Amino acid sequence: MSERLEAQRRLITVWILRISIGLSVLSILTGLTIFLVKGADYMPHTPSGPITAILAYVWQEALGLHPSAFLDAGILVLLFTPLARLAAGVAANIRAKDWLYVGIGVVVIGLVLVGFFTGQINS
Amino acid sequence: MSPLLTVLVVLFGGFAAGIIGALTGLGGGLVIVPLLTLVLHLPLTQAVGISLFGVIATSTGAAPRFVGTGLSNVRLALFLQVAASSGALLGALISHQLPARLLFLVFGVVMLYSAVMSFLPGTHDRAGAKVDSPLARRFRLASRYRDGDEWVDYRVTAVSPAFGIMVGAGFLSALLGIGSGVFKVLAMDKLMRLPFKVSTATSNFMIGMTAATSAGYYLSHGDVSPLIAGSVIVGVLAGAYLGAHWMKVLPVLALRRVFAVVLSFVAVDMLLKGFGV
Repeated sequence: MSERLEAQRRLITVWILRISIGLSVLSILTGLTIFLVKGADYMPHTPSGPITAILAYVWQEALGLHPSAFLDAGILVLLFTPLARLAAGVAANIRAKDWLYVGIGVVVIGLVLVGFFTGQINS
Repeated sequence: MSPLLTVLVVLFGGFAAGIIGALTGLGGGLVIVPLLTLVLHLPLTQAVGISLFGVIATSTGAAPRFVGTGLSNVRLALFLQVAASSGALLGALISHQLPARLLFLVFGVVMLYSAVMSFLPGTHDRAGAKVDSPLARRFRLASRYRDGDEWVDYRVTAVSPAFGIMVGAGFLSALLGIGSGVFKVLAMDKLMRLPFKVSTATSNFMIGMTAATSAGYYLSHGDVSPLIAGSVIVGVLAGAYLGAHWMKVLPVLALRRVFAVVLSFVAVDMLLKGFGV
């Protein structure tokens, strides 16, 4: 990989990490604040099932300012951060035409996604 | 325990885990899982699922300072990640089939192993590999890192056995909710004979991806309470941030050994739970 591509990859990685941590913490703190303001006397709903269903649930609940929506969104952002970092790495390797590591990156992304889908099947 | 008190206990526990992890290098999972099971009495599978999010937070929070230094060997991390994620997937798949007592026993043994490793001398000054193994050449795993003003080249060896250890590290990570950094560094530092700083940074890069493989499984399975996981994540990130700053002024080696002794007592508690005492 050339110096220029490598520098771009580093910059993108750092920004993915910073934005993800910021979004995740902000979302969780919003959820915890709403939870405390609303009386803090009940346990928010624990999500389960397909990731797509959890995302749809988060959107619905967020419209009602329900704390679990913000908490779920925060943990989902954190969960997807390593995947986003992997995807950025694969994109950089495609630009560098390093097909061996494009393949390895895709296999790793596939393994992470299999984890998501087997969880919902066994739930 | 009321939900509010639960949040406060978990925030404080996550904060402590973040500080201890940053100061001693011993993973936060070794603090969070006992806290959630022994103090809050959560089922072990739920504690493991939640702890994995703490592990991702630790890895993600520490990652930016490694990017750009060349310390994290991305090609090596990706190559070994195939093994670690495969192990993690296997661990997640059987996690709900194993009896909780067996998991407590395994957790206790891993804790004791981590505590003992804290007392063994490091290998920071040991000479690295002189030549690459054929597999390392095939996958272009050798690299270099910046040390001050100069770049240091290093070679990679014993790729196959390290790959095998990574399967086991991923498996234990998914089963116990830990980063398994102690096993990853063991493979890279002692077997592949990488420079210590490279082992640590590359291991940190891999820990987040390994935890994400199984964390998605636990989330979809309905094991992750957003209130508790959210509190763990915020606590761990805040603790790790503060711990990284305290690292420069506190006696880290002494702290690591004190924590290892505490860890041994908690390990005995987990083992007793495993034996049904």
